[in-house]
Amino acid sequence: MEKPELIKDGKRLDGRGPKDLRSVRIEAGVLKEAQGSALVEWGGNKVIAGVYGPRECIPKHGADPYKAKLKVRYMMTPFCSKGEHSRSGPNRRSIEISKVMREAFEPVVMTKNFPRSQIEVYVEVIQAEGGTRVASLTAAAVALADAGIPMTDMVSAIAVGKLDGQLVVDLGKDEDNYGESDVPMAITHRDKQIVLLQMDGLLTREELAQSLDDGIEGADKVYELQAEALKKSYEKEERGKLNL
Amino acid sequence: MIPGEIIWEQEMRVPNTVVVDGKTYATVLGMVREDRFIPLELVYRPKPGDNLVGVVTDVRHSGYSVDINLPHGGFISSKFTRVSFKQGDLIFGRIKFADEVGNVDITDAKRLPAGKLVDVPASKVPRIIGKKSSMLNVVRDGTGCSIFVGNNGYIWIGGKGNLQLALKTLDFIIENAHKHGLTDKVAEYLNEQGGNVTVPPREEAAPAAPAPTEERAPEPAEVSGLGAPVEETPDPAKEPITEDPAQVSEGEPVVEPPRAEAPEESDNPLMKGGSGIPEKKDKIDVDEM
Repeated sequence: MEKPELIKDGKRLDGRGPKDLRSVRIEAGVLKEAQGSALVEWGGNKVIAGVYGPRECIPKHGADPYKAKLKVRYMMTPFCSKGEHSRSGPNRRSIEISKVMREAFEPVVMTKNFPRSQIEVYVEVIQAEGGTRVASLTAAAVALADAGIPMTDMVSAIAVGKLDGQLVVDLGKDEDNYGESDVPMAITHRDKQIVLLQMDGLLTREELAQSLDDGIEGADKVYELQAEALKKSYEKEERGKLNL
Repeated sequence: MIPGEIIWEQEMRVPNTVVVDGKTYATVLGMVREDRFIPLELVYRPKPGDNLVGVVTDVRHSGYSVDINLPHGGFISSKFTRVSFKQGDLIFGRIKFADEVGNVDITDAKRLPAGKLVDVPASKVPRIIGKKSSMLNVVRDGTGCSIFVGNNGYIWIGGKGNLQLALKTLDFIIENAHKHGLTDKVAEYLNEQGGNVTVPPREEAAPAAPAPTEERAPEPAEVSGLGAPVEETPDPAKEPITEDPAQVSEGEPVVEPPRAEAPEESDNPLMKGGSGIPEKKDKIDVDEM
């Protein structure tokens, strides 16, 4: 496919302005058997997250006597995009994303409350359209809160990138593929800690500084949606129901 | 309140919050009532004095391992109990000691007769108990069941009452746990149900009973009434059954005052169990809402 014209008259491919997010819908408490769960529909992305624990650490020799072990698994389903993921199971990419997601949550989850146990976070990408890791982080944060796992802060994630020399927030698939740079980041809401920051492509120092500012702004919007989703989950009828 | 949201501008030492730079923030989903922070979702952390309902998972010389709905099982030392348990026995006990790595020592354990074990979120337990067991008494009165609530989220329901209604009521409480005046609503709910208590729940209870199911999880449609001691797969049916009628006959008529009822209800199993351990039922309202 030819490189499309990414920005035309200040509008992006899908008609968004540079700082507009795709439509984001977050729902908490979507899985019955998981302790906490969340569904995030972010543009064309569909991500579901489930949280279990704290429970007994397996294998036992891996248990930490001082804190809970956080285990994050990010996985793309074989049907999530145009067939590039036709073989399911962990691969180099998903192992890396699992690791950076785990490291994003380690500073905020109060693991010291639960020694010798593990907290499991499973994130499954049902449909992918650029920016699945930020959608996954957003879903995982909501699922952790929904599970009642104590966290000192809420994590919200957003990607910033550069298209045709202009910084834009929340890249879609084509923007990611044909743009010049992609900077996914995860930010805690209260003290604006950067718990995840990656960069594909090239940016100047000034551009990176600017993209961090834009990212924090975007992450705040995501945070509002996360908070709303968590509050809304209490209006749902089936919430917390016993399996009768 | 969601994790990381500011609750108070000043420093408050309240459970489930964190203080940063002299300000207090929430760490779990919760609600604020004046100077209290009420968690809506919570992972239970054991503390001495808490009541527990558990399942004996292992019998050893030194004592009994108990599944108490925590990452690590509890332990009843033979030193502290003269009752002997079997694998699969349901117990009601009190935490004697909980250390910082999650070991839990249980004391004053006694065996519960055949009944249903329900797993509820630990954050809803205070609501299920209510102020000075008010909610629990309403449910007991309304359903005729005897109920033991563990702070760990395990609830034992037994007795001759309407088990199905008791489960539905628990469900109702959990669903509406974040609302005001819940005890009244529950009473209303029970009264509404009261009209047809005798008919439909029985109907439901009868056909659903057959499947032998494991006792610990509130798994699919186990709608077993007490009459069929089905859930107690590992339980050798004899002991519980002998205890059961005795307990119910005592428990049922004495319905109203919490403190009066509790000892009455549980005295009997105690006698049968042969332990002289004092009744700790009243402790249940440790967590008042």
